[in-house]
Amino acid sequence: MTTYAPAKAPARAGGRPHKPRRPSRRPPSPARLASRVLVGALVVVQVYPLVWLFLTSLRTERDFAGGNPFALPTSLTFDNYARAFGHGHLGRNILNSLIVTMGANVLIVLCGMMGAYALQVLGFRFSRVVRALFLVGIVVPVQIALVPLFVDYTRVGLLDTYPSMILPLAGFALPMSVYLFSSFFEYIPREVYEAASLDGAGPYRIFARITLPMSVNTVVTVVMVNSIFIWNDFIFANTFVLSEDLKTIPLGLQNYIGAMGKTDWTATFAAVCVTVTPLLLIFLVLNRAMIYGLERGASKG
Amino acid sequence: MLPHRSRLAVLVFLTPPLLLYGVAVLLPIVQSLVLSFFSWDGLSDMEFVGLANYTRMLTGDAVFWRAFGNALGYLAICLVLQVGGALVVASLLASLRRGREVIKTLYLLPAVISTVAIAFLFQRIYSIDPAGLLNQALAAVGLGGWQRPWLSDVHTVLAAVSAPEGWRFVGLYTIIIYAALLAVPRELEEAARLDGASSWQVFAHIRFPYIRPVFATTTIMAATYALRGFDIPYLLTNGGPGQSSELITTYMYKTAFTSTDYGYASTISVFIVVECLVAVGLILLVLRRKAHR
Repeated sequence: MTTYAPAKAPARAGGRPHKPRRPSRRPPSPARLASRVLVGALVVVQVYPLVWLFLTSLRTERDFAGGNPFALPTSLTFDNYARAFGHGHLGRNILNSLIVTMGANVLIVLCGMMGAYALQVLGFRFSRVVRALFLVGIVVPVQIALVPLFVDYTRVGLLDTYPSMILPLAGFALPMSVYLFSSFFEYIPREVYEAASLDGAGPYRIFARITLPMSVNTVVTVVMVNSIFIWNDFIFANTFVLSEDLKTIPLGLQNYIGAMGKTDWTATFAAVCVTVTPLLLIFLVLNRAMIYGLERGASKG
Repeated sequence: MLPHRSRLAVLVFLTPPLLLYGVAVLLPIVQSLVLSFFSWDGLSDMEFVGLANYTRMLTGDAVFWRAFGNALGYLAICLVLQVGGALVVASLLASLRRGREVIKTLYLLPAVISTVAIAFLFQRIYSIDPAGLLNQALAAVGLGGWQRPWLSDVHTVLAAVSAPEGWRFVGLYTIIIYAALLAVPRELEEAARLDGASSWQVFAHIRFPYIRPVFATTTIMAATYALRGFDIPYLLTNGGPGQSSELITTYMYKTAFTSTDYGYASTISVFIVVECLVAVGLILLVLRRKAHR
C-alpha cells in the first residue's frame, strides 16, 4: 500500500514548491488526499446530526425557533432538561427500559448458552434440524409475530405487561446468540472437556465450571449488541403496551410531541439526549467488544 | 463432543431455549399462516375463507401494490446507501494509515440511537418552516431552488423516509466489510500492483472476489432489514401523504391494529416473509453465479 503512493507527485497549482522531505512526511498523493477528505466528510455526515441534537438540547427556545441551525447556541441553558423531566414520565420510562433490557438479556444469554452447549458441546442426532430452526428466526421478519402474539397475549392476560415485550425481543434475538456462543464454544479445546470428564465431571458440572466461566467475553458481546436493539425497540412496545406506566423510552419520547404539531422541540431533544447517553457511554467504552461481535456475527450468518 | 453425554442432559439444556423460541417465534409464525386463511376482526367468530385473502391481496388491492412498489424503492435506496456506501467507505478506510478505530466508532454512532429519536431528528432536518438543516444547507450552497418540504412532497417523501434508515446502518456494514477487506492477503495485492494493475483493477479482480462471501452476507442482511423496515417511515409520515410512503410493513400494521382485520393482516405478513426469502434466494443466486463464472 505505502509503496505506490509517491509514484505520482502532486501537481499543485499555487501551493508551496514541492520539496522532498523525510520519506515518512511526504505529502499524500491526490488520490490519497481525496480519500481522506471523503472519509472526513462522511464522518461529518454521520456525526453532525448527533452533535446538532446535543447542541439543540442546550439552546433556549427563542434561539431554536429563530436561529440558524448551523450556528452555535447564543446562550446555554439546562431548562430544557428540567422541562424534559417535568413534562413526561421520563424516569419511569428509563426504569421500564432497564427492566425490559435486563430481562430480555438474561433470557438471551442463558438460553443462548444452553442451546449452544447442547448443539456444540453435547451434540445429538437432530442437531442440524435444530440449527435450521434457529436460522428461520434470523431470516423471518418480526412483523409476522405481531398479530398472533397480540391475540395470544389477550387470551392469557399477558397484554400490557413486561413479559409481553421481553418474550418476543428475546425470542427473535436468540438465534444470533446461539450462533455466537456455538462459534465460541468451537474454540474450547476438546482436551479440556475430556480431562474434566476423566475427573468425573458430568455435563452439568462441566457447563457450570468450565463453559460458563470461559464465556465471559462472548457474554459481554452478546449483551452489548442486543441491548442496543432492545433499548431502542419500538415495534413490540408500541404494539403490546397500552398503559402509561409500562411505556419504555421510545414510547415515552412520543409523548413530547404535543397536540396539533405544537411541540416543545428543545425539551424533546433534551429527553432524547438523556435517553441516548447511557447507551452511548457504554458503547464508547465497550465498542471494541461490540465491533468484534458484529464482525463475528456477520461472518457466521 | 463430551464422552459421557446423556439424552437427559441434551433435553435439559435444549428445553429452555426451544421453549422460549417456540412460544415467541415459531408458534406465532404458524398461527400467522393459519390466520391468513381466515377472516377475523378479533371479536366475532373466525371465518374460514380459503384463499380469498390472497386473491384480494394479489388482484384486488391497489394500496397493497402501491406499498409493494414503495417497499422496492425503499429497498433500493437502503441497499445503495448501506452496501454500496459501506463498500466505498471500507475501501477508503483500508487505505488510511491512522485513526481507523476512531472513525469506525464514529460511523457506528447513529446505530446506537433509537428510531424514535432518529425520526425526531429527521423531522427537523427536513422541515421547511422553520428551515431545517437540509433546506438551509441547500440555500447555503446556492441551491435554494431545491428547497421543499421533503416529507410532504409526494415526489421526495419516499427517498426522505428511506435515507435515515440507510444513514443509520452504513457504519455497521462498513465495519463488517472492512473486517473482510483486512483479511485479503497483502501479497496478492502487492504482486498485482507490481504487474501494473490500477487501483480499480486490484479492487475488481482481487479484493472484491476475495470478500464476495462476506459481501453476500452483508447484502442479505441489509436487504432483509430493509424489507422489514418499519419504524422510521411509520413515525415520520405514517405512510403519507396519501400512500406515497406506505410500505408493506406499515400497511400491514395499519390493517392489523387500525382496521383490526387480523386475517388479512396475517396474509400480508406472510407475504413479507415470502418477500424476504425470495430476496435472500435471489441475492445468493446472483452472487454465487458470478463466483462460478
